[in-house]
Amino acid sequence: MFSKVLIANRGEIAVRIIRACRELGIRTVAVFSQADADALHVQLADEAVCIGPPQPAQSYLQVPRIISAAEITGAEAIHPGYGFLAENPQFAEVCENCGIQFIGPPASSIQMMGDKAAARRMAARSGVPILPGTEYPVRELEEARRAAREIGYPVMIKASLGGGGKGLRVVTTPEALESALATAAAEAAAAFGDARVYLERFLSDPRHVEIQILMDHHGQGIHLPERDCSIQRRHQKLVEEAPSPALTDSLRQAMGQAALRVARAAGYRNAGTVEFLLDERGDFFFMEMNTRIQVEHPVTEMVTGLDLVKAQIRIAAGEPLPIAQEEVRLVGHSLECRINAEDPDRFLPSPGRVTNFRPPGGPGVRVDSHAYVGYIVPPYYDSLLAKLIVHGRDRDEAIARMQRALDEMLIQGVQTTIPFHQKVLRHPDFIAGRTSTRFLERLLQEQ
Amino acid sequence: MDLKELKALLRLMEGNDVEELEVEEGGRRIRIRRRSGQVLTPPAAMIPVPPTGTSGTVISSPLPPTAAALEAAGLIPLESPMVGTFYRAPAPGAEPYVKEGDVVQKGTAVCIIEAMKLMNEIESEVKGRIARIMVENGQPVEFGQTLFLIEPA
Repeated sequence: MFSKVLIANRGEIAVRIIRACRELGIRTVAVFSQADADALHVQLADEAVCIGPPQPAQSYLQVPRIISAAEITGAEAIHPGYGFLAENPQFAEVCENCGIQFIGPPASSIQMMGDKAAARRMAARSGVPILPGTEYPVRELEEARRAAREIGYPVMIKASLGGGGKGLRVVTTPEALESALATAAAEAAAAFGDARVYLERFLSDPRHVEIQILMDHHGQGIHLPERDCSIQRRHQKLVEEAPSPALTDSLRQAMGQAALRVARAAGYRNAGTVEFLLDERGDFFFMEMNTRIQVEHPVTEMVTGLDLVKAQIRIAAGEPLPIAQEEVRLVGHSLECRINAEDPDRFLPSPGRVTNFRPPGGPGVRVDSHAYVGYIVPPYYDSLLAKLIVHGRDRDEAIARMQRALDEMLIQGVQTTIPFHQKVLRHPDFIAGRTSTRFLERLLQEQ
Repeated sequence: MDLKELKALLRLMEGNDVEELEVEEGGRRIRIRRRSGQVLTPPAAMIPVPPTGTSGTVISSPLPPTAAALEAAGLIPLESPMVGTFYRAPAPGAEPYVKEGDVVQKGTAVCIIEAMKLMNEIESEVKGRIARIMVENGQPVEFGQTLFLIEPA
């Protein structure tokens, strides 16, 4: 087991990782930008190294400074968290070359899954259903027109090196195809440095269901009960739950096995998530694989009793998986609300000083946050301030618990999306489990 | 007092909104002063003082200067542009690049910071005299850490 780990991240996930290390008896090294000198992850870590000015490109994305920080502190492993360098194959490779264990999959798997069009091909070859679409990125307009006709409108244009909900365009008629291709390619080039796009059938009202997998370095892999992340605004997840109200156990097993097939084909190790779209008929289609620990991992932890971050660290240290597939349990129901420091109506960021922070408590309530009274939310990073997670013996109890916890939670000094979550949790469609990726769009239109 | 105890003291200060704290223990004295605002000054170095002796007087150790104090004194800090290990000389056993009192020009190499097995020469950004060397040979340094104080010419 490692004696010292460096956390190459900030905010709530850095705190999460430090907590797991602490419980494993591992010493922790935090890195921070000059805007994060008072951050909670810096306070909690055993050591901290400043790696640059506030801008992410000058700090949390600075590979040489982070590697150097690991070297001067003697850290044996780096946990990249999510975002920043977590899915950067070059970073994983530099760690490997410098003799530092990257807590995550091999660089080659990250690279493979980072190319979304290539990941689709890999899924298809593994016998996993994919949406009708182009096998390779489209090279010119005529090819795109033919492909779109074959796939059938509406089609979705997607950036090949995309992710995080960017570089997507829906085209409903052939006339709109040409300009949509141009803007999608431009956005892809700007966001990912690569203008290549592929086409895929667009499902009008699917659910987003994802499967958490764990693979160790000894060839063993398990799939865990799914998460339903259909409640999204502009492709950003806001509320997640486990399990999905739409899944039967046989569908759960089928999707889980499909997820493992994709992961094995990619030579995967450590924790990962395979995302699917589920249509109204219960057919599922591979979307992409996320080669990192995800924001919403706590809901899986709540229903399985597993600590996924500890599992990541243990796997990276060469230990076998914590349990076998037949020991995987699904107990009760869990919900998570991502509380962002944003205006709850227009979702604009609201940086500032937290003057009051009173998280909820009681049975089945968990808060993962880096906030504290006096914390100054910096304007340079994403606006996630706290994750409010609940667990109940069934979905009804989890909903009542989340409603209660949201009402109890107090954050002052910055605006937060708590009022927005309160609306979602009281919406009849949500309570009935009638959620899909267009749920939020409809709710926001109702206002 | 070790680093762990020091960190506990800092947390105590912050939690109780204490601005300044002075602790004396067995011949060592430390004074910690918090500065309000975003960037923390690095914690005061543990500088051992001689035992008090019969007269009972204690010599307090100097704190590392705050940015405001430096500007008041007219000294310009040379801050580390990278994370790594600080070396005063180009190679082990060689003469240091500079000593306190040396005059430097803009662009004069003043030290090496080793990062990822590469030796990076760090240059002075101003013309002046090396007033104080703030770190020790072989010490790990972080981004923004003050390496030298320079009295501008």
